[in-house]
Amino acid sequence: MHMSEIGVSGVEAKPSILIVDDEERIREGCRKVLLNDGFEVATADRGARGLEMIEEKHYDIILLDLMMPNMSGFDVLGRVKALHPDSTILVISGYATVEHATEAMKRGAFDFIPKPFSPDQLRLLVTKAIEYTRALQDIAGEKSRTRVLINRLTDGVLATDRDKRIVLANPSFQRMVGFQEQEGCVGRTSLEVTRDDMLEGLIDQALAMPEEEFVELAEEWKSGGEGGSGERIFNARCLPFRDRSGRNVGAIMVLHDITVIKKMDQVRSDFVSMVAHEIRSPLNSILAQIQVVRDGLAGGLTEKQEEILGRASERIRGLVSLSSELLDLARVESGLILQEREQIDLGEMLKDQRDFHSPRAEAAHITLDLQLPGPLMPVLANRRNIEEVLSNLIGNAISYTPEGGQIELSAAVENDYVRVSVKDTGFGIAPEDLDRIFAPFYRVKNDKTRMIVGTGLGLPIVKSIVEAHNGWIRVESTPGRGSTFHVHLPLGK
Amino acid sequence: MTKQPYIMVVDDDPDLVEAVSMKLASYDYRIGKAYDGQDALEKIQREKPDLLVLDVMMPRKNGYELCNQLKTDPNYKDITVVLLTAVADNVPTTSYTHLDGKSTLADDYIAKPVDLEKLSEIVKDYLV
Repeated sequence: MHMSEIGVSGVEAKPSILIVDDEERIREGCRKVLLNDGFEVATADRGARGLEMIEEKHYDIILLDLMMPNMSGFDVLGRVKALHPDSTILVISGYATVEHATEAMKRGAFDFIPKPFSPDQLRLLVTKAIEYTRALQDIAGEKSRTRVLINRLTDGVLATDRDKRIVLANPSFQRMVGFQEQEGCVGRTSLEVTRDDMLEGLIDQALAMPEEEFVELAEEWKSGGEGGSGERIFNARCLPFRDRSGRNVGAIMVLHDITVIKKMDQVRSDFVSMVAHEIRSPLNSILAQIQVVRDGLAGGLTEKQEEILGRASERIRGLVSLSSELLDLARVESGLILQEREQIDLGEMLKDQRDFHSPRAEAAHITLDLQLPGPLMPVLANRRNIEEVLSNLIGNAISYTPEGGQIELSAAVENDYVRVSVKDTGFGIAPEDLDRIFAPFYRVKNDKTRMIVGTGLGLPIVKSIVEAHNGWIRVESTPGRGSTFHVHLPLGK
Repeated sequence: MTKQPYIMVVDDDPDLVEAVSMKLASYDYRIGKAYDGQDALEKIQREKPDLLVLDVMMPRKNGYELCNQLKTDPNYKDITVVLLTAVADNVPTTSYTHLDGKSTLADDYIAKPVDLEKLSEIVKDYLV
């Protein structure tokens, strides 16, 4: 095989080979063959001379005679390994005993060739060595590229082994957790480096994740003093690192700085709150004033005046509920709902909701039933949020179901979730609207729904709340026959 | 004839105070008006009302503060307090996040927008 076949082009440097052998015949024979094949070749006739040359220069391949006078090939081998760990050593052995050859390979030689050998045997061996060297260099190159890449990332990256010893922590990560020791963090435990219980908890959770499960754990993590000006907020994500047989062999954590996003989000929701409040106060006064006038407390009214003021009140009430829902949406989106979670019995809550909504359903001649399979396992959730979810879905069902219809509430435990369903025999939702009903301000408008009062913020709020509780909402619907909303909330284990 | 009950209406919006007062006055109650918590406290100290219709979000002294102050004062704790709350007041931008009408020392509450008819019913119940 010739150079072109193993990929030596004019652009790349020629592989360099050093031949260390006291037998001139072999030295020169090898030199000729290899020169002919396009290598750069140097020779040394003694071990000591070979060592000198190795001190001066790096060779890709060293052909080394094991048995030489004065200095044995083993001594040269040890020195080469110390100076140039990436040089490939091929051993030439005068009397190829298996012991010598295996000993040499134990000490780091790549392969050996017994004397006498033909030029083709030599070529074959060198070619193999070159390929091996290339592969090593590729891996080293790839590793260093990856390392540079990881070190340049603005996200913090941490990798640990299964004993939570650090394998890698890039500079961003060290800066984010405030790790400043000169000696570096590789080999230390994750807790020594992060000094944080929440991050440690994530790593523990990832390492303990059973084989059949694979989820990315995520938490909001704060550093630099709670609420202070130096406070930074991070999205911390963690997942197990697995070998081919699926065992957890380590954990990988990524920290992403979301401080700016959080601040902008706060500004936005403060603004929405402010606007909503500023609108609400005068509207509340206007409603009270109109009521006083309608009561005749400011003089008698004609029937027509009374009717007009009645309609005006309705319109204002609509604006008040819009401002309420804007406030709710801002509140939900600003993440307040992550606070104060408790164990909630959804069965009990559904009973309360049925009782609360029954008068309105009865007034519309709609039956409102509740089907429970028995006691439900509790979910961990914010009570007011979940009441809002159920109330919204039941309220919608009543609004969008014509007289004489039925609404059925049900709940059941499914895997690790409690499923709550609200099923109605209402107008249903057209397929093209199904995706859009969860978007803010979207309302399905047709002949049947035109008279229904609403803001289009109810379902987006419901969805935000459910998702903030790590659950999901799904809807099935057939136009003209009805809709079913399913809410899945994780069990509060 | 029994003494005419005295009700004080407190809100920082004068138009709302006016409307609520007109409604309650139509039931033959005597009405006092105040426009923030501090103003109310000073007026209460001059003449103690039987019942207070008290808004929550007000400058100087908010409704919760005034309510708790009165309810922990032996001289004033017998004043019936009906809070005017807006459910959506429980937003993170205010200091009332963890409070609602039920969790204070108030006797009762009514949500804004105020249904004057309902408020009158509540007031009537307390002043029999």
